[in-house]
Amino acid sequence: MMLARRQLVPLVRRVAPSISSRSIASDAVSPAQSVAATTPTDVVPVAVTELLTAEVISGAPSELRHRAVRVYQPTRNTMQSGGAKGERWRIDFDILQGGGRWENPLMGYASSADYMQGARVTFKSQEDAINFAKQQGWDYYVQQPTVKRIPPKNYSDNYLYRPNKLRICKTK
Amino acid sequence: MLRIVASASRPSSVSLLSVAHRRNLSSTSARQADITLTVDGKEVTVPQGSALIQACEAAGSPIPRFCYHDRLAIAGNCRMCLVEVARSPKPVASCAAPAMPGAVVFTNTPLVHEAREGVMEFLLSNHPLDCPICDQGGECDLQDQSIRYGSDRTRFHEIAGKRAVSNKDLGPIVKTSMNRCIQCTRCVRFANEVAGVEDLGTTGRGNDLQIGMYVEKMMDSELSGNVIDLCPVGALTSKPYAMQARPWELKTTESVDVLDALGSNIRVDSRGVQVMRVQPRTNDNVNEEWISDKTRYAYDGLRFQRLTTPLIKGPDNRFVTASWPDALAAIAAGLNQTGAKGNEIKAIAGHLADTETLVVLKDLINRLGSDNLASDLEGKYGNAPPVHGIDVRSNYSFNSTIAGVESADAILLVGTNPRHEAAVLNSRIRKSWLHTDLVVGMVGTRADTTYGFEHLGEDAKALEKFLSGKVKGEFAERWAQAKRPLIMVGSSMAEHADGEAVFGMLARYVAATGERIVREDWNGFNVLQRVASRPALYETGFVPSRAATSTTPKFIFLLNADEVDPASIPADAFVVYQGHHGDRGAALADVCLPGCAYTEKSSTWVNTEGRSQLGRAAVPPPGAAREDWKIVRALSEVLGVDLPYEDLVGVRDRMWAISPSLVRWDGLEGTSLEVAKAGLGSLMSNFYQTDVVSRASVTMAQCTRAFVTREKTSLEGLGKEPLQAHA
Repeated sequence: MMLARRQLVPLVRRVAPSISSRSIASDAVSPAQSVAATTPTDVVPVAVTELLTAEVISGAPSELRHRAVRVYQPTRNTMQSGGAKGERWRIDFDILQGGGRWENPLMGYASSADYMQGARVTFKSQEDAINFAKQQGWDYYVQQPTVKRIPPKNYSDNYLYRPNKLRICKTK
Repeated sequence: MLRIVASASRPSSVSLLSVAHRRNLSSTSARQADITLTVDGKEVTVPQGSALIQACEAAGSPIPRFCYHDRLAIAGNCRMCLVEVARSPKPVASCAAPAMPGAVVFTNTPLVHEAREGVMEFLLSNHPLDCPICDQGGECDLQDQSIRYGSDRTRFHEIAGKRAVSNKDLGPIVKTSMNRCIQCTRCVRFANEVAGVEDLGTTGRGNDLQIGMYVEKMMDSELSGNVIDLCPVGALTSKPYAMQARPWELKTTESVDVLDALGSNIRVDSRGVQVMRVQPRTNDNVNEEWISDKTRYAYDGLRFQRLTTPLIKGPDNRFVTASWPDALAAIAAGLNQTGAKGNEIKAIAGHLADTETLVVLKDLINRLGSDNLASDLEGKYGNAPPVHGIDVRSNYSFNSTIAGVESADAILLVGTNPRHEAAVLNSRIRKSWLHTDLVVGMVGTRADTTYGFEHLGEDAKALEKFLSGKVKGEFAERWAQAKRPLIMVGSSMAEHADGEAVFGMLARYVAATGERIVREDWNGFNVLQRVASRPALYETGFVPSRAATSTTPKFIFLLNADEVDPASIPADAFVVYQGHHGDRGAALADVCLPGCAYTEKSSTWVNTEGRSQLGRAAVPPPGAAREDWKIVRALSEVLGVDLPYEDLVGVRDRMWAISPSLVRWDGLEGTSLEVAKAGLGSLMSNFYQTDVVSRASVTMAQCTRAFVTREKTSLEGLGKEPLQAHA
């Protein structure tokens, strides 16, 4: 039951919730999930049974392991029509509640106590991004990309005859 | 100048052409045949009837464009998308040319470059050189494309100078700078097709062509902000955002809108601790590419009237700032002092309450021994279980789904004005009305919906008459024959004296028609919610029990409840308000707890079709404000009823236990077919001011003056830039 539930809830969370109960060795073990690579990736698939996450030896502050990252594909800017960089995946951190940002009273500059606020990593594929988050030992949430359905369009549709009452006067 | 390059005579792929034309006689589906063509040496298959530009995109060859837009009709007037087609004597505008089977297309040849450079030179000949002071700078299509196709020196030596066009006044949202216009007519097509403002158009021809409303008039539409996105140059920019920020300064956060129940996908752009603007995010299942003006421009309300610190009402009826422990202790003392027991402890959930907090608050109130979980529905209706019931999810959801509206062939609106209650959904109905034979009927207060409809009457009696088949007319005729009829009941009906009768009538009708309205592949019974929190409210069971309905409360917890009727709160009750704005709810309270607005917390929101979506915090909350579910969790500790979860994952596990669909974000669970018991004027009179955020917004106040009260006073001095004199 528990396992099925974890699979349904897309927020991936490690088992040990508190620092005191964590031992480094148990934390370093993560389930070996082979992600089917559907898109070209930079990662060569290697059968990894035991993953030594970077946080074990990187010396990163322990607060970092209580924060979640989001893996997502940024949507196209609606202000522009270009679609470049649209296939890339991105990892960034949720902001810190309280104390994460403030306006500097002297100059009005934005100050921050959050050392990850500017961290934004780009990947070629979702698998790469997930792999990176796993290796870092970060909790991650994968936000699925939205669907785009554009029907076939044709210039001649402007001049289609419709037998019923006129509903729009085409203008431009 | 245009020369035919040698590549133009390459052979086309004949073998694939014959495959595309082979057709199986037994296939009866309406699916169009696919055609195959070659773009830049790559073979690509697209549905028949596609434009050439779509085929080029499918092949991964980006085509520069100004006038072509995926969601608008094709105009073909900017000529920037020229490509070379084999055996064609001259370059072809790829948006206006159909993709032909076997065509061989080149998008990156010297011929194409030279042609596009020529187009760009003409466009720039009349475009002012004011990029440094233009708001589009940094996200301007003309800027981007001139980097590649623009010339580095001018051949423009007109003595009269560049074309000058007077600016238009389109209202408090759209700022115009018509000198910059390149006449792509995207705004005109959007206004005509999507928004239904058919008086935006062009006058004059050639060099004298101008975009405008023909007469001095503002653009009265709930979707007018979208023309700012569509405009490929800086001719139409945002008035509230004018000269506020540059796109490269902004941090983008993908989130969900909560100012109506549609759950439009938005991107919150922030700088430092401020939300600078809100942009749509494309999602064809929800909002396509549009958002309403309230969604887009109510964000300035997030800066005003905020609760930043806990407040306790002193003996002189004035609020005194307090620390969090003091405020929570004051609530515990208040609860003790009133002696409230059982159902006398009441919680009222408001418009902007997120799902996590609703679940935590419901657990807290239940642990205190109460079932009195009300909501701030109009009048006294929130104090009782809703008339449509909450046991069957299809009774309060938009079952056809938002995208499914487009497949309906007859729509009956009951007591709703979708133009105000879900402006983006309304544009879908208009789209369908324009492109299919859709007919719309309406029972309820007559409204301007941007599409034609047959008005069947004002009240429940008219609905009864229609449902019993006693009405003659075109709509009734078409409704009787409709394959996919759709009934859309406004959520205002649940807050109406006749609500029970209306829902009962419709339930009997849906049941009596058998498979016609509700069947395996089509559920045509829909309730259009207009408030973001209500679907989650019903999903989590946040409604009072029958016994609780008649209890006089002594302790009231208002969670974002600002539309609550002050008369319904007893004078001697101890009132706690938790929320982010000092509005009506805070004024009633003895203790105020500052929470987060929707841009400041990562919480779950359920939209009217039951789609649960995860928002994301863009900026930190102001002052001592905290995440809402944490406040309720902390309060539970002070009240001595600890809740069994300590972190967000714990809360979401609890939500999963209540209803798994709440945490299957972005997914949509289908509803069951049993419409157990279904549920006239729309309650939304002012589209622009419906909740605390939009009431605190200056822009929304200006929109109210311009489009609702229609005050004649000039907006001069109010806007950041006075209206420019017409030159």
